[in-house]
Amino acid sequence: MDKSEQTQQQQQQQQHVMGVAAGASQMAYSSHYPTASMVASGTPAVTAPSPTQAPAAFSSSAHQLAYQQAQHFHHQQQQHQQQQLQMFWSNQMQEIEQTIDFKNHSLPLARIKKIMKADEDVRMISAEAPVIFAKACEMFILELTLRSWIHTEENKRRTLQKNDIAAAISRNDVFDFLVDIIPRDELKEEGLGITKATIPLVGSPADMPYYYVPPQHPVVGPPGMIMGKPIGAEQATLYSTQQPRPPVAFMPWPHTQPLQQQPPQHQQTDS
Amino acid sequence: MADSDNDSGGAHNGGKGSEMSPREQDRFLPIANVSRIMKKALPANAKISKDAKETVQECVSEFISFITGEASDKCQREKRKTINGDDLLWAMTTLGFEDYVEPLKGYLQRFREMEGEKTVAARDKDAPPLTNATNSAYESANYAAAAAVPGGIMMHQGHVYGSAGFHQVAGGAIKGGPAYPGPGSNAGRPR
Repeated sequence: MDKSEQTQQQQQQQQHVMGVAAGASQMAYSSHYPTASMVASGTPAVTAPSPTQAPAAFSSSAHQLAYQQAQHFHHQQQQHQQQQLQMFWSNQMQEIEQTIDFKNHSLPLARIKKIMKADEDVRMISAEAPVIFAKACEMFILELTLRSWIHTEENKRRTLQKNDIAAAISRNDVFDFLVDIIPRDELKEEGLGITKATIPLVGSPADMPYYYVPPQHPVVGPPGMIMGKPIGAEQATLYSTQQPRPPVAFMPWPHTQPLQQQPPQHQQTDS
Repeated sequence: MADSDNDSGGAHNGGKGSEMSPREQDRFLPIANVSRIMKKALPANAKISKDAKETVQECVSEFISFITGEASDKCQREKRKTINGDDLLWAMTTLGFEDYVEPLKGYLQRFREMEGEKTVAARDKDAPPLTNATNSAYESANYAAAAAVPGGIMMHQGHVYGSAGFHQVAGGAIKGGPAYPGPGSNAGRPR
């Protein structure tokens, strides 16, 4: 796939996202976000460069078609996720600007202080520290839940489960400090070993916070099959073939295509 | 349930080598608060399993310990004893949570402004002590406030923020009992 095709495809995806389907999708979430909060000045930019996947060699045209469909799905999904994150940060800015009363916190300050004090090295804590943490923890919970829900949707479920949180943790480097909390079998289900082996990170992880790395394996079988499902015999074979690939040979970052700057205002036809 | 207990204990025993509170619930934020916040990030028809809520509870405690540990290290390097809001913001930047810092800066600034107003009201002073934006001025202002009323130290010794330290004494003076009800009562309070 050459560059012009990618650009064209991305434009088509963008138009599609702004269509009725995108409107319906946003309507599902708009119950949690007031309409005014979606139009925000000074919205923080969510920079998430998308790597261009180098198409692997396929013997049959059926595989080629399935691969293209998978790639289309990934692009669509990434766009949707970026929109969600954009709304998330926009909502946070609005909410914080509207905060007047610092007494009614969503989280108890005494408990936060107790957790902070669990560390022996921590001796004295200013009064403002638990207040800051109350807001920071709220943002943390919202972000972790939002990223976990992406995995829930991939599996066509409506109930957020523990393995969805495990998936969000394994897919985002910024959550590496949480790896000990998730049991190892949950990480195995997510194929953490394969993901880490086949997608080496170039540069320090701090340079790319919150980057969602989709698993670099083609989705074969029925077109409706979604990645993230338990590994079948067929997929296991593909995983084994993917594994011997040398990590140094895969350079996702130099092929990064620039992220289209989304307009800060979201046009909602059905609002 | 046994698995959940084992995982929870194992994870936190590994994470924190120091002494732990004997009460299990004290190590986490209330599950009702966590659950309510989680729902704000999801569509209306979404459901959340119990073990997902418990997992996020653990993740939040780990987040607090993670950020606090980094901020505490910074304070020790700089020979300071009190962790303040700026230390936490610095730690979040260092540990990859840059996106949180910008909203929190505005939040912290307005909190300090309100603290300043309350300090003026409590101390019956003309000039607000938070005129200077720098952190050291903020600490020295609290020092002056505490020094101006020496009885305040003794008065608020037993309060939740009344432990040793000028900064917290001032905080204790401002935040009375009604400002910080017990954790249980906060769980049911609407935002």
